[in-house]
Amino acid sequence: MGNVIVEMEHISKAFSGVQALDDVRLELHEGEVMALLGENGAGKSTLVKILSGVYTRDAGTVRIFGKEYGNLTPNSAREAGVAIIHQELNMCRDLTVCENMFLGREIKGRIALNNAKMEEEAQHYLDELGVDISPRQVVGTLPVSKQQMIEIAKALSIHAKILIMDEPTSALTSKEIEELFRIVRRLKESGCGIIYISHRLEELEHIADSVTIMRDGKFITTGAYKDFTMDTIIEHMVGREIKERFPRVECELGEKVFEVKNLNAGRLVRDINFSLYKGEIVGFAGLMGAGRTETTRAIFGVDPKSSGEILLEGKPIRINSPLDAIRAGIVLAPEDRKKDGLCTKLTIRQNIALPNLDTIGGKSGVLNRAREDELCERAVKELSIKTPSVERDAATLSGGNQQKVVVGKWLVRDSKVVMFDEPTRGIDVGAKVEIYHLMNELKKNGIAVMFVSSELPEVLGIADRIIVMCDGRITGELDARKTTQNEIMRYATMFENKLGKAGSSTEVNDHG
Amino acid sequence: MDKKKKTGIGKLLEIKGMGSSLTAFAGLIVIYFVFGMIDHKVFSAQNNLNLLRSMSKYLLIGIGQSYVMITGNIDLSIGSVVGMGTMISATLMSHGVPTLPAILVTAVAAVVVGILNGFLVGKFKLPPFIATLGTMFVTRGIAFIVNGNRNTDNVASGIGKEAADRFQKFFYYGKTFGVYNTFWIALITFIIFFFILSKTRSGRHIYAIGSNVDAARLSGVDVVKTTIKAYVVSAICSTIVGLILAAQAGMGNMDAGNMYEMYGVAAGVIGGVSPLGGAGLLLGTFGGAGVWQVLENGLNMIGAQIGLQRIVIGVIVVMAVLLDVVIRNGSRTSGLGKKAG
Ligand SMILES: Nc1ncnc2c1ncn2[C@@H]1O[C@H](COP(=O)(O)OP(=O)(O)OP(=O)(O)O)[C@@H](O)[C@H]1O
Ligand SMILES: [Mg+2]
Repeated sequence: MGNVIVEMEHISKAFSGVQALDDVRLELHEGEVMALLGENGAGKSTLVKILSGVYTRDAGTVRIFGKEYGNLTPNSAREAGVAIIHQELNMCRDLTVCENMFLGREIKGRIALNNAKMEEEAQHYLDELGVDISPRQVVGTLPVSKQQMIEIAKALSIHAKILIMDEPTSALTSKEIEELFRIVRRLKESGCGIIYISHRLEELEHIADSVTIMRDGKFITTGAYKDFTMDTIIEHMVGREIKERFPRVECELGEKVFEVKNLNAGRLVRDINFSLYKGEIVGFAGLMGAGRTETTRAIFGVDPKSSGEILLEGKPIRINSPLDAIRAGIVLAPEDRKKDGLCTKLTIRQNIALPNLDTIGGKSGVLNRAREDELCERAVKELSIKTPSVERDAATLSGGNQQKVVVGKWLVRDSKVVMFDEPTRGIDVGAKVEIYHLMNELKKNGIAVMFVSSELPEVLGIADRIIVMCDGRITGELDARKTTQNEIMRYATMFENKLGKAGSSTEVNDHG
Repeated sequence: MDKKKKTGIGKLLEIKGMGSSLTAFAGLIVIYFVFGMIDHKVFSAQNNLNLLRSMSKYLLIGIGQSYVMITGNIDLSIGSVVGMGTMISATLMSHGVPTLPAILVTAVAAVVVGILNGFLVGKFKLPPFIATLGTMFVTRGIAFIVNGNRNTDNVASGIGKEAADRFQKFFYYGKTFGVYNTFWIALITFIIFFFILSKTRSGRHIYAIGSNVDAARLSGVDVVKTTIKAYVVSAICSTIVGLILAAQAGMGNMDAGNMYEMYGVAAGVIGGVSPLGGAGLLLGTFGGAGVWQVLENGLNMIGAQIGLQRIVIGVIVVMAVLLDVVIRNGSRTSGLGKKAG
């Protein structure tokens, strides 16, 4: 391993009352990929935000390439060679890919901006990543995964020597992850140091050279990746042993609760047919952009349907808006938490209460504060949402804890069908298990559960039945106990053969 | 998480937005005393009564505009709806229509405007600035047209001296418990809308759509209905002010309420209501309206020219928000100024 390029020592940082970091240290070498691990709210993002000049530290020293830095700003950090890909994507949705990539460092011609040059450069880095995005596309129209790739391209384009990736893969498909890893390895060979934050522990063996583990804002341990086992890593992270990473409960299969017939809604939801039964969890697998999210949105009444029928307990129902769906007892915990899931300016309590206001207030509409507090307390406890008070803005929570709020607000009401879209994205191992337990609880109570997930081990471990989608169609239905990752991937890549022949599998990508 | 039993002020401050609200009240008191020191007439009983009465208009306007601002929108039609309210009611009364039906017709007209605003913004997704700019012109136009492009005659000429007197007393000149009725009307309106905003489902929905429309919709909030509600509240408050102005003058003035929408913005913003939506308390608006009125009153009492008044008020609005922004950023990146190492 090469020279030390980043040294952070005795770093402390408090946010109005919360000690986010307490005497933390970190050392990064040239050509090293360091996995920075810890539970939600452990302080990982805060630590790297200090290194990249987003936050100022309360105490501690930071040395980059041997040079000591006082208060870093985003600009001085960038000049020192630090680039960060944030956990929460921060992009201007109305600007184009190129405009976003060059935001704040636009290339000027003699008088006006040199758009041609910027687009050319943007295209260059996008090509290097092997992503199919035009620099002229508007960012807001792209799915999260593509937006993530743009962030990465942006980091590449500033020739960073120290690259921080805060959960870069949480929104990527296995193919894209593969691509990302290839790039990470290449950067590493060229001498870059990389800090890699992820809750997908399966990924580590593919890229991590070393690990640094934090818990509750404190430094716990560090060392070469090969000196750890998965179990010791998890134990250090959560401070206790986790027996089962994918707890499955066996239930007797009950009657049919929910049925979708010939549902069509736009290009990514084509002729969808499936049913949900009591006592089972159905997992929706597929590549990013396979139409799984769109399917849940169409069912939930967010996006208009062009045709199809939805039956609840045998009776056809009409869902034209989320309100209709919720009234009927069908709920959706959406995928994009920043856009669809969370009111960041409202408090945690208000967020959890929002979809449950019908049960909190009576007919009069006057809210019962005691009942509201009780609901929130339950959600906070069941999901162990880490916060000093539910009266804080949801924006102050760590990424994973925000996700818990998005999921948790739906679990405190009685529903008949619960749809989750990527429920464990960005959640630590311990909390994932808690969410699985909750899903199992729903299953035991006879509630139909379906969830969309891009993490195959999770789909295999938690679902009873797996529905695979590809390009807006259902291409396979599998028994989770009998299938394999490879089989799922084969169905997930069954693109329609435009020449009329039956779908054939193209390339099979899996890992982890 | 852990149930800490906080007492008094600590618990109060835990309520989001309470800080800004209390700051507004503190500002109000400071300004009041500063002017009082300069000119003792500020402290006189009559001046205090006048203060409360003229503050009421700003409070009412502020309530309406705050509702709309918390949904993340703006209502530019407020001033014109005030004018329309004055003109419709005064025209009807001066033509002999009894007070109560006249008020009712006025209220209906206002609610229609509110619903229209809400529809344009909530349903058709028009930028609120544009939608309410349109209704602003239309309602001012109506204010002109109802009485044939001139101010109305004295309302007494239509409904008689006695009824006119009762109307004027009820909204403006009369006192209850020693305080002008205008203030009581504003206070009751405030209490009602304060309750709705902070304690009911509709109120929560108003905050939610201001914070994140998409997330709110996906949580089952009817965005269109909620937007309409906010605009209707705004229109109702404007109409009450319109009636107050009619009562004050005893007639309808076509230009009544000019610029009031901006006074509403100022009252709300001084009190910590975010023009970007999702945050703020009506209590703050109360304080903000107070600050505004005490300033205006004080500057008047010490004989400042109107131009100077405008400048001072403009500076105060910006300062109030600046202070808020600085405080909020300060807590987000606490330790900003501290030297590391
Ligand atoms: N802007 C902020 N204001 C107040 N508290 C904050 C802020 N940012 C982070 N915190 C708190 O600091 C702690 C550490 O948060 P951080 O985001 O660093 O966690 P993390 O390790 O990145 O977690 P995750 O895996 O969930 O992303 C948390 O308790 C969080 O609530
Ligand atoms: Mg984080």
